[in-house]
Amino acid sequence: MKSSTKDRLFLAMLLGPTIVLVLAVVAYPFFENVRISLSNMNIYHISDWEVIGFQQYIAVLSEPQFWEILIKTLVWTAVNIIFHVSIGVFLAVLLNQKFVAGKSAWRVLLILPWALPQYITALTWRGMFNYEYGAINLITAKYLNLPAVEWLTSPLEAFMAVILTNVWLGFPFMMVVALGALQSIPGELYEAADVDGASSWSQFWNITAPLLKPAMIPAITLSIVWTFNNINVVWLVSNGGEPNDQTHILVSFVYEAAFSMYRFGWAAALSMIIFVILFTFTQLFLNRTKATESVY
Amino acid sequence: MYRQLCKVLLFCLVVTGCFLGCEEPDERVHVRIWHQKIGAERVFFERAVDIYNDSHPDRHVEILYKETEELRNLFIVASAGGQGPELIYSPADNLSIFALTKTIRPISDALSPDYLSIFGSDGVLSWEGDQLMVADQVGNHLTLVYNKALIPEPPTRFDELITLLQELTVDEDGDGRIDRYGLTWNYTEPFFFMPFLTGFGGWMMDEDGNPTLNTPETIQAIQFILDLRDKYKVIPRESDYNIAETLFKEQRAAAIINGPWAWGGYADAGIDYGLARIPRIAETGNWSRPLVASKGYSLNANVEEEKLPYIRDVLEYLTNAEIQAQMAKEISSIPTIPSVREDSVIQGNPILRSSLNQVEVGLPMPIEPQMRQIWDGMRGAYQLIMNGSTTAAEGAEKMQKDAEKRIADTFL
Repeated sequence: MKSSTKDRLFLAMLLGPTIVLVLAVVAYPFFENVRISLSNMNIYHISDWEVIGFQQYIAVLSEPQFWEILIKTLVWTAVNIIFHVSIGVFLAVLLNQKFVAGKSAWRVLLILPWALPQYITALTWRGMFNYEYGAINLITAKYLNLPAVEWLTSPLEAFMAVILTNVWLGFPFMMVVALGALQSIPGELYEAADVDGASSWSQFWNITAPLLKPAMIPAITLSIVWTFNNINVVWLVSNGGEPNDQTHILVSFVYEAAFSMYRFGWAAALSMIIFVILFTFTQLFLNRTKATESVY
Repeated sequence: MYRQLCKVLLFCLVVTGCFLGCEEPDERVHVRIWHQKIGAERVFFERAVDIYNDSHPDRHVEILYKETEELRNLFIVASAGGQGPELIYSPADNLSIFALTKTIRPISDALSPDYLSIFGSDGVLSWEGDQLMVADQVGNHLTLVYNKALIPEPPTRFDELITLLQELTVDEDGDGRIDRYGLTWNYTEPFFFMPFLTGFGGWMMDEDGNPTLNTPETIQAIQFILDLRDKYKVIPRESDYNIAETLFKEQRAAAIINGPWAWGGYADAGIDYGLARIPRIAETGNWSRPLVASKGYSLNANVEEEKLPYIRDVLEYLTNAEIQAQMAKEISSIPTIPSVREDSVIQGNPILRSSLNQVEVGLPMPIEPQMRQIWDGMRGAYQLIMNGSTTAAEGAEKMQKDAEKRIADTFL
């Protein structure tokens, strides 16, 4: 056997299991979902379903609730990411300063929300948002003399409650990524800037921010996709979209359609639309920011 | 490199083969049951299955707990794909969904007519002419649970109860916040609204399964609970299942409307509790009638014929008169075999007697497939009503519209 054939065979043996695994757990479910999205699969046709074309896509796009929830999902994602990044970077810069004592302890403390299981954190926050007995209303009433807020029963406040919980859960990830990137910035750059008389603000914008970008852009992209699809927090804090399905984001809406209403075809079509939105966004964002280029 | 890799792969294959070959083949017949039993009921069930397995070395009953919603969804998906457990234990309201999805087969394929004839009407559940479930208990019903230290004997009419609840609702430390409420329940699930709706003479669907929610009875029922909260101020402003449970267990609510699954927890929390019928509505004279549902076993559509004799044996063991009597005695469940229900031991159990007393005025949970859409349609409006953002009339109209839309949506 020729050496080049041997090498190819060797490569195929190494890659084979991975390819089979990816086909089984990514490609097959994806194409099966495409097939279901083109079908009438629902509770009345679960085993005798048939392909009906793009009717489910038309039904999703002509559903007014879809557009309301899409806007809500965009707001949810944008607000969360803004807070995750700004709080995360702020804390990372702070922890990177020489004058901060007990850095390890602070780091552990700040990573804690991320380290705890989401399930526990979400349900704890739900308890804290209770109108009469929740810690938030009790504290704001006692120390700030503010009136109690109906966090879980009024649509706007409930949505704010879900966002607050997710901000709490999400900033440590950004902080860890930013801290790692900050520690790899050579100290000489700041020393040179000091010699040139640059202010701290100027150093941040001209040294820190550009050198954080290669680490932060992929992290932000990932975080946007995670947040857009974060069913756990929304579902647990709002108890499945309460009140009156007003706190749904697209992914929880898909879950409800599939497993509460058994509208499998419709839910599959909606999930394909979510995929297209996220895929398009990710491509545009990565191309525009040239984040992958700067890695190489 | 290539040779080395081949050697490693060969070694792995030999080791794996040896391990697989060394394992003794399991020749027992396996009967798998997915269930949603919790608390004391689950402990009893696990013990009963262990006893069965110990006395039948040629077979093995495997049980797996799943939360009710997950149980239904995963069973449908598994059975539609030709898999799943041989038996599923669930509330009767799942039956029509299982039947529509063709994921179960008649229970009469496994059990003889003679055996099925020992059960009462709530022990063998049918849909569209097929016997689909054999139940080991009936109930799942809401009852008024009261703290005996605060309410020695609850009144049987709501107007009298409200007067008592007003006395029991107190701000003990004078800080302007209520420290103890008279009554509480879960405001987020419309299942808890049903006793009030039926008390005013309303019902959620007609004979064809169409929602009947935008009615004067629904409006009156909604107004009644709004008055409890805003006019008489005897129930908390906000309460979900966990809050209601905590308030009652911590003696910050004198009474709660809840079901049999929760009673054991009250005893564990040290509450000396009693059960009573949810009172009559004074305006109509009707009892507030909760929904009553059986819980039992259904047979997976994919079960092979040769397994049926084993499944019959397991089912007869898990649903017979002897085990139902034990269940009633130990976990206060209501038997579905009339002779067991009339047994003096069961009649002598005060909790069980009160529970039966409530069941007598309960209404059977509809098993029509539209039930799910009607619950979902009611849920959002019920939540808006309870947070005060809609009136009773608007709430009733929204319930009807949402339920109709969800039923229509399900067909696509």
